[in-house]
Amino acid sequence: MVTLLVAWAVRLSGDPAVMLAQGAGSINAQDLINIREGLGLDRPFSAQYFGFIGGMLTGDMGRSFMGGTSVGLLVAQALPRTLLLAVSGLGLAIIIAIPLGVHAAVKKGAAADQVIRIVSLLGLSVPNFWLALMLVLIFGITLRWLPPSGAEGPLSLVMPTVTLAIILAASNVRLVRSAMLDTLSAQYIMVARSKGLRDRVVLYKHALANCAIPLLTYLGLQFGGLIGGALVIERVFNWPGMGSLAFDAVSSRDYPVLQAVVTVLAAMIVLVNLAIDVLYRLVGPRIRKE
Amino acid sequence: MMMRMRSLFVVLALGFAAPVQAGGILTLAQAQDPASYDPIDTFLISWGQIGSNVFDGLVQRGADMAIKPALATSWEFLDGGARMRFKLRQGVTFQNGEAFDATAVKFTFDRLLGPDGAKGPQQSNYNAIGSVEIVDPFTVDIVMKRPDPVILTKFAGYGAMIVPPKYITDVGKDVFKIKPIGTGPFKVVDYQPKVSLTLEPYAKHWEGISKLDKLIYRFIVEPDTQVAELQAGRIDIATNVPVSLVPAIEKTATLKVESITGPSVTVLRFNTANGITKDERVRKAMIMAVDRETIVKTILQGHAKTVVSNQSALSFGFDPNQKPVPFDPAGARALLKAAGIAPGTPAQIDFQSNNPLFREVAQAVAGYLTAVGLKGGVKGYEMNIMTNDIIPNGKTAEMFQFGWGGWTFDYDNTAYLLYHSGERWNPYDKDPILDKMLEDQRLSSDRAQREKLLQGVAHYVADHALEIPMYNLNTIFGVNKRVKGLVPPADNRFRLTDVTVD
Amino acid sequence: MKRLSPDLLLGGIFAGGMALAVLSSGWTFPDNGEAMDLTARLRAPFADWAHPLGTDPIGRDVLARVVAGGWVSLTVGMLSVLGASVFGVFMGLIAGYFGGVWDLVVMRWADVQLALPFILVAITFTAILGADQYFLIMFMIIAQWVQYARVVRASVLSLREREFVQAARAMGLIDLAIIWRHILPNAFGPVLVLMTLNIANNILLESSLTFLGLGIDPITPSWGGMLADGRTYLQTAWWVSVFPGVAIMMMVLGLNLLGDWLRDRLDPRGG
Repeated sequence: MVTLLVAWAVRLSGDPAVMLAQGAGSINAQDLINIREGLGLDRPFSAQYFGFIGGMLTGDMGRSFMGGTSVGLLVAQALPRTLLLAVSGLGLAIIIAIPLGVHAAVKKGAAADQVIRIVSLLGLSVPNFWLALMLVLIFGITLRWLPPSGAEGPLSLVMPTVTLAIILAASNVRLVRSAMLDTLSAQYIMVARSKGLRDRVVLYKHALANCAIPLLTYLGLQFGGLIGGALVIERVFNWPGMGSLAFDAVSSRDYPVLQAVVTVLAAMIVLVNLAIDVLYRLVGPRIRKE
Repeated sequence: MMMRMRSLFVVLALGFAAPVQAGGILTLAQAQDPASYDPIDTFLISWGQIGSNVFDGLVQRGADMAIKPALATSWEFLDGGARMRFKLRQGVTFQNGEAFDATAVKFTFDRLLGPDGAKGPQQSNYNAIGSVEIVDPFTVDIVMKRPDPVILTKFAGYGAMIVPPKYITDVGKDVFKIKPIGTGPFKVVDYQPKVSLTLEPYAKHWEGISKLDKLIYRFIVEPDTQVAELQAGRIDIATNVPVSLVPAIEKTATLKVESITGPSVTVLRFNTANGITKDERVRKAMIMAVDRETIVKTILQGHAKTVVSNQSALSFGFDPNQKPVPFDPAGARALLKAAGIAPGTPAQIDFQSNNPLFREVAQAVAGYLTAVGLKGGVKGYEMNIMTNDIIPNGKTAEMFQFGWGGWTFDYDNTAYLLYHSGERWNPYDKDPILDKMLEDQRLSSDRAQREKLLQGVAHYVADHALEIPMYNLNTIFGVNKRVKGLVPPADNRFRLTDVTVD
Repeated sequence: MKRLSPDLLLGGIFAGGMALAVLSSGWTFPDNGEAMDLTARLRAPFADWAHPLGTDPIGRDVLARVVAGGWVSLTVGMLSVLGASVFGVFMGLIAGYFGGVWDLVVMRWADVQLALPFILVAITFTAILGADQYFLIMFMIIAQWVQYARVVRASVLSLREREFVQAARAMGLIDLAIIWRHILPNAFGPVLVLMTLNIANNILLESSLTFLGLGIDPITPSWGGMLADGRTYLQTAWWVSVFPGVAIMMMVLGLNLLGDWLRDRLDPRGG
């Protein structure tokens, strides 16, 4: 359904034959018809669409309109790069967010809480591309510690990851704090505390397990946004992932590539959310047991 | 801990930078990966930059835009221009060792004009050619179906680049387009789609071996990123430098800016069929209202020249005596009043939103229009929508941005397609007088007479106020000073045979 | 009378102050920040009183544009979040409280939507339809209600079996009353947090779209647009993009502080 919507929308938006012909001065109607035939665009929409779906099912994603490269090949090159970026960004964000969020909740109202809150709020209010540009300016141009762009080794992963992580961590800190506050004030935690269990044990064993549900929900939500949001960051850092691929495809009306990118990403996001649903079931019973 | 981290960074960074700075490797950034390197597949400038290093044409164009011999050593026109005879260079080989001769030329043009070529955008440019006949192994005749005054220029690039018949027949198009083989000075050794293309000099090139050890093209979309890479010393040439980033390059001691007259001219065309701009007086008033000199001096920082018609001073058909309409806001106000235009009447400029420079220019023009009593407005369209729908289908507002590359540097290539009735890029005008002028110049075989006719077209367009001629924007490159021997050509198509990197 | 909370105070100053400045821009800057002067382009800030925050690349006053620019940003941010949260909370409550078929339908619908990479779809559609302000708002609502629905559902699920809800049910309260009195206030915290996050996100999203070349028409100033348009001047004229950036930060910071304060007030266990 998603693919149908996108396939239809992209076709509304422009003629790739004209894009290919751009600048080719004396192009006329017959030339365009020839080009469309070459691309298979003379077939009715349904035929194109089912051709695409059929191809997807058999693992053949067709060919890019720009240069006729195999879409499968393009996606196979781009997807791991985007996943690498997404996973490392999310991972770093969680590593930053959980201790900070828990700490802030425990020290609610104290100076540490305020500082963490303000910093996370500042993190939230910076546009990602702007943050990326600032990082490039500082670490890429002025200090020259890190390459400003490209995907040529572990070093080029640092800035894109950090940009993603800063933005994600800021919102996760708030979520962890909020969820922790909810659970901390619940009766069973009070009971556990009053029974004299040591604070740290209470926190990490009982409380954290209970804020897992909202946190998981939010992580699932974030994954879609994360993949999509990586697009902007990929563009600033010229990271050759799915985002770059998709944006190029949109601007050149490269239907096969765009359809494939959206379908593959949609499938990924569905999978991640399914996995989270399964995790719910695993985490869920603990609530009742308490 | 922090200190250790930092020294670790420094060590890694040094290790990273070292190979880039080794002698003789030139890294050049361009915005787009053409994706197919088959000459018949694209008309992208990004292809032209790379293609002119991998391939040769029958002729070539120097940095001064003059036509010079290349794979053909000489040529003559027979049968009153209907037949061109080319003498081919002997002893030339393709980069895979295949010999170059008349067969390759015939194969190239048969392919371009046949069913393979029909699937790409190049064929339409060469439709004036009827056939190619082999006279002897090193002589070919190109027979014209109809006259094409700029055909010789077209032999210097794009679809007319000579390709190897045996290699293409053996490996097929799918391999050829990503592992292209030509007779040019550099051969492709590595290709990472959307990331980079690496070339090495071809030792047996007919002009002698190029000086560079290696030539790397990196594909970087964002101009900010290209400039950042340039400042970090990781690329040597940035080809996509907006005016606003020029000061950033200038303040970096190791870099310099090359700003040269480019092929592209920007005009604001009027919707002459509908609304207030149907009235010639209103159009004239709008032209008078806009201070183009100041726009060029301020927003464009002098990296452009104002124009009087839709062509640069390098173009065939340019008239050095044609005078611009002077900036005259008072006159504009009077004309608008005479035309009965109420103050505050909206006048909108449609433009391509992906161009940050024109974004500023459009807003400035709107400001000038507001200053003479109209309500200037701007609306950005995504490039595709603009070129596929808004312009060809005549859906523009009062004015629309129109940039034209014209790599042939012949006004016909612009004027006919923009002003002749029924052309795709002419949604509004139907003027039999102008049509006749445009047709006449195409039939003229006398160069001087054709130039006169083209100049006449330029004057006619200006007299009827069909457009606000804006400027001819320079091509701006950011270059690392360690690059030596670079002569940036006006058409962006670098031939990097004599360049070295310290 | 309780001591004035610092959250309320600071949040009020930041968000309220910004909002007030934006609302009064019609009087303070009647030209809406659109008057240009090419001869006075890129004037540095803090140098002369005519342009206290300097001028932009076509000689417009940065202060006027920052103040007037709040209109677009705030309209987009507020309306989209309001619409999305009302619809999302409603759907989330239905799914979480009633469960069963309701839950299934709403959540599958949500899954389909979640599977769409939002910005990709936004780019595709703005490329086609153009970036109209109200279209953008509609689009954000359609894209974001799901987040509220899921968060509300999750907290309803964890509340439904709690003692106080069970007790209410045992006392014979009808569903609507239980939702209104017990579930809604308890589910409100996470929703508020999300709302404050999303106002920020949506202001930023507008700027990202402009960065990608698909923003709202550039004569009308907007914070995001100014930020994106000023990016090529970061190295040479920082003020063009830094001041709108600061405006976004203050606004978002203020809104978040207010959100936190509200959260504490509404939280029945907090007081």
